Amino acid sequence: MSNLSTKRLTKELAELQKKPPGGVTLESADNLSQWVVKVEGAKDTLYQNEVFWLRFTFPSNYPLESPEVVFVRNIPIHPHIYSNGHICLSILYDHWSPALTISSVCLSILSMLSSCTNKERPPDDSRYVAHAAKSPKQTNWAFHDDTV
Amino acid sequence: MKMKIKRWQAVAVWKWDLPDEDDVCGICRNVFDGCCPDCKSPGDDCPLIWGQCSHVFHMHCLLKWLEQESSRGQCPMDRRPFVAASA
Repeated sequence: MSNLSTKRLTKELAELQKKPPGGVTLESADNLSQWVVKVEGAKDTLYQNEVFWLRFTFPSNYPLESPEVVFVRNIPIHPHIYSNGHICLSILYDHWSPALTISSVCLSILSMLSSCTNKERPPDDSRYVAHAAKSPKQTNWAFHDDTV
Repeated sequence: MKMKIKRWQAVAVWKWDLPDEDDVCGICRNVFDGCCPDCKSPGDDCPLIWGQCSHVFHMHCLLKWLEQESSRGQCPMDRRPFVAASA
């Protein structure tokens, strides 16, 4: 890992432990390159009282390159979340910016859950899951829905 | 009382001229008055760079980002093409 990634991840880890944003808790960070973060569905949304886990895997040149972020264990039913845990969200791929943080990514994902009006899997779920690579970063995503 | 100064030692402090001294670089998240993660001492050896969009970064951090093909030459904050402001 580069100086940049080690130092930035150390800082983000401390901040996430000290003052995490609402609904976000660090579950485990056994090493600097893979963390699991617990996110809670916001009140008055379709995901109220539901708990999910996001697994972050950091490349050695984080934050210049995006982390791999997938849901693990309990996968939310959502039109942009595939049943293998892959998330269709542009900031995780083409629109990544080093100014984004683990906290801000968690909040974006929570807001994506909060704005959902219909709990359903993506229409192409079974086709995608059958052919998808292990990492969603290998997928050539098309981002067409700006509303959710 | 009359005094004669025989020896003196000057001490100066410097700071980057920024609206908020506690501001951090959006890439490394170190304070601007500190340096980027690859440098040892802040100051002229680890300068800041301002964009025309008004966003500031450690120059070393920003250059690393712009070297990435995925950056598309964009400012990490607003994703507009990054153009350095002339001093």
